[in-house]
Amino acid sequence: MQGHHRGKKVLRNSSEVALRSIAVFLMSVFFLLFFAVPIGIAFIGSFHQWNPLKQQFDFLGMRNWNRIFANGLFWHSMKNTFVFAMIAVFFRVILGLILAHVLHSKLIKHKSVYRTLYYLPTITPMVAVAFVWKFIFDPRIGLLNRLLNSDINWLYDGRYALAAMLILTIWKDFGYAVVILLGGLYSLPTECFEAAEIDGANSWQRFTRLTLPLLRPMVLFVIIVSLISYFQAYIPVMVLTQGGPGTQTYLVTYLIYKEAFSKYNFGYASALSFIVFVFIAILTAVTFKISGKNVPF
Amino acid sequence: MKVKKALVMTFLLTFMLSFTICNNTLAQEMPSDLIGNIIQYDPSVPLNNGEDITVELWYWTGAANLFESLATKYMAIHPNVTIRLVENPWDDYWTKLPLALQGSDGPAIFNIHNSHHENLIGYLAPYDIPVGDLEAEFTGVSGHLIDGKIYYTDYGLMTGTVYYNTDMWAAAGLTKADIPTTWDEFREVAKRLTIRKDGKLIQAGYSYNGGIQGDVLGMNYQYGQNLFTWDNKISLNNDAMNMVIQRLKDMYEKDGVCDYNFGNNAGDNFGQGLVAMYLGWGFMTNVFGQNFPNTPFECFEIPTPTNDIPYAFHRYNGESTFGVNKNAPADQQSIAQDIILFFLANDAIQKEFCLVNAVFPMKVTLQDDDELLSIPSVAILKDHIDRYIWPGPMPSTVEDNIKIALENIFYNNEDITKALTMAEKAINEDLEYSDFTSQEPMYKYASEAKK
Amino acid sequence: MKRRLSSISLNIITSIFCIATVLPFVWMLSSSFKSNIEISALEQYFFPRGFTLQNYVNVLAGFDFMRYFINSLVYAFLITVITVYTSTVSGFVLAKYEFRGRELLFSCILMTMMVPGTVTIIPRYSIMQFLGWLDTYKALVLPGAFTAFGIFMMRQACYAIPDEMLEAARIDGANEFYIFHRIVFPLLHNSIITIIIFQFLWAWDDYLWPYLVIRTSSKYLLPIALNLFNGRYSTDYGGLFAATSISIMPVVILYMFFQNQFIEGVSSSSLKG
Repeated sequence: MQGHHRGKKVLRNSSEVALRSIAVFLMSVFFLLFFAVPIGIAFIGSFHQWNPLKQQFDFLGMRNWNRIFANGLFWHSMKNTFVFAMIAVFFRVILGLILAHVLHSKLIKHKSVYRTLYYLPTITPMVAVAFVWKFIFDPRIGLLNRLLNSDINWLYDGRYALAAMLILTIWKDFGYAVVILLGGLYSLPTECFEAAEIDGANSWQRFTRLTLPLLRPMVLFVIIVSLISYFQAYIPVMVLTQGGPGTQTYLVTYLIYKEAFSKYNFGYASALSFIVFVFIAILTAVTFKISGKNVPF
Repeated sequence: MKVKKALVMTFLLTFMLSFTICNNTLAQEMPSDLIGNIIQYDPSVPLNNGEDITVELWYWTGAANLFESLATKYMAIHPNVTIRLVENPWDDYWTKLPLALQGSDGPAIFNIHNSHHENLIGYLAPYDIPVGDLEAEFTGVSGHLIDGKIYYTDYGLMTGTVYYNTDMWAAAGLTKADIPTTWDEFREVAKRLTIRKDGKLIQAGYSYNGGIQGDVLGMNYQYGQNLFTWDNKISLNNDAMNMVIQRLKDMYEKDGVCDYNFGNNAGDNFGQGLVAMYLGWGFMTNVFGQNFPNTPFECFEIPTPTNDIPYAFHRYNGESTFGVNKNAPADQQSIAQDIILFFLANDAIQKEFCLVNAVFPMKVTLQDDDELLSIPSVAILKDHIDRYIWPGPMPSTVEDNIKIALENIFYNNEDITKALTMAEKAINEDLEYSDFTSQEPMYKYASEAKK
Repeated sequence: MKRRLSSISLNIITSIFCIATVLPFVWMLSSSFKSNIEISALEQYFFPRGFTLQNYVNVLAGFDFMRYFINSLVYAFLITVITVYTSTVSGFVLAKYEFRGRELLFSCILMTMMVPGTVTIIPRYSIMQFLGWLDTYKALVLPGAFTAFGIFMMRQACYAIPDEMLEAARIDGANEFYIFHRIVFPLLHNSIITIIIFQFLWAWDDYLWPYLVIRTSSKYLLPIALNLFNGRYSTDYGGLFAATSISIMPVVILYMFFQNQFIEGVSSSSLKG
């Protein structure tokens, strides 16, 4: 299934060259114009006192970069981000796999209803969802405390605030993994599953011996995309806790967001962004390496 | 050649014709009464040579009717002017607006908030109105002077006041005579308003859950302590700030008038009838009116350490008048200037803006207005209005960092001095890159401040 | 018996997740029929006590809801059509053709996802300003014409297509455009539907970029209008919940529609391992 054949004699006809050239050309131009150039500007900006809103661009040398490493909040936020991203990725992938597997099974009825419902949180805009959850987490009138019969101040208690953010994030996003993985499962040859069922393999065996290996490219995709996006998560922080209590739930991209859109310190925010970028790139490369194939970088 | 000549002739004819027609209509329909006292607006002066013109006015969401009303009134006087109103979400308005002002096609006139002063001031054109006229009719103009020019000023003033639930007040056997003027009295009243059942808090006498950073930044003035030093650095770790925060902490921990898990938003909790007293800014009057119309409340002025008049009761912040885009085409700019003149000269409009925003009017002629003084949060300011101080357009880092410090103190049990020192350091690091200048030296009683 | 048991346990798992997923959502829908007073009231009931349609009336009357709705629909539709095609072509080229710089190009594309958008959005705005595209549909649509996510996903999906199949077509004399459009594109059916769903959703939810580049309020998109409920001092919860409930309807309908496509597609997809 993972067959792409390296070193094999490649067929070269004119139409291949044409299709390839058009695609590569358009991709290059697009990513150059809308990504490489802005990223380049931001990189140069990281050496400046840069506030595009008042057109300020004063050279600072390494000052922004040096400030980062001396900043305790940065390291604290990185640690939070790491914990947050790892837990969120884990749950997204595991829940996605389990539910996709279950929904793919012939033993479940009303599949399309489930699929639609699982996907509801994903399609609801974050602004509205966040307010709903703010009410749910409220210590006085919140649904969650009433369901658990507890007396927890979810958003203002340092022990629970990050957990509350994770609950919202996992709730909002697991449907996304279900959809992608289920799509992957449906692309797989049904014969394999039928044969396995005739062979008497149980649900767990089918999951570990068939589903997992066959889904590998898609699982890899979900892990990497999730890793990249959770390392850049800031909206749950912005809407639920604003980083509080104190700085207990600061995630690094929230720090970047605050620097850029609250203090308009785009130079410092850019320097932070590139450190985050290096971190994500390393993690992504490692993930590709562990998974063994299709390695970029 | 002939064609060209004919064209020119037609053009000239049309031009003259339209001009005379316009002049006629102007002469017939325009009211000729002057509006205003010192700042005067003459509605009979034709604008833009009577030709049609459109200007864009940007504002943030919240009071669409107010801007529609202003535009309608203005366009009724000047039918050739079209004001195109563009509503924006509050948060991202502050990113979009400065970017839009960089080109020549930005809005000619727009709403301003002084917390974004630094990003906007470079795009503003000074008002055409003589500064002396503005100063004669509006309070607090001097704080907005830059090189002798005014780019925007305040039409209204807002500050923190104590809201109290009158039903709970009566139920606790309290009367008007019990309204506290000192913090000690306030603490006693708060205790009397607190209700516990089997040790469990069911009514908080006073709550500041959900953040009180906006008021902690200001209560220092009651001790004569300025927020900023002569070189525009912030000073937080001082006796005054320590006393202010310790008192807030004591009210919860010693007096037991509330606890940190008793709701996350003291304002909402006040509206819900869980909290008896709440220190909030003037805008809460309207929030309560809209979201909690069944909660009966009154206001009293923020208490002070002693019964003597303090250096200042609190800080205030202004609701700003419009800004004019200096990069807009000249004809649009002159319309924008005219709208501002109309807005400032017109007492009825000034009053409307103050009423809807529940702010204390800066226009001197309105400061005794009965209708405005019927708003509880406005009325109580009247006696000491000159004892409220404006620190200047503080960058957001100030409030952000004091919020972090307070949450660390209240929720994470951090030492007050340590938290304040950290906040002070973080703010001063950011202020190094800012053009912020404290307006504290401009305060009427600046000389009374602690040295 | 064993089969029955596992069937029951599977159904229980799915149902539990279902309830956990839907509960907050139902709460929002139910709250959209409450007044703001009731939403924030101390006494909370799951279903509205004083049922009111006022929030919906305000949403539909308060601003030009239908206009923003249609704007968003057109925008999301355009973006979706464009990106589905560009992602598929790019994914196919990156997965199935060998050429120098292929891995480098892919890595670069992937890396663009890793720099937080917070700091690149303003430079991107400046480019639009430089090109004079502000307040045009070009500025809205073109920067979204390719997505790293889509390319990455389609590349992964293309790996599942056996090379032998393409070789066979080539031997039969098919050119690459034919192979891509007539063989590969249909084979990617499932992944394409997944991408349609995501892309449509993102475009539908897209806020900051459309807000910054669009000046004329008649061209505003729905999320911008939704943000107007989140005021400076307080939020109109009821209005926000009502507007959100209406605004997600098209996505739900789209999704339910493609659900069936999804399943039908499985049998018609002739991919054999």
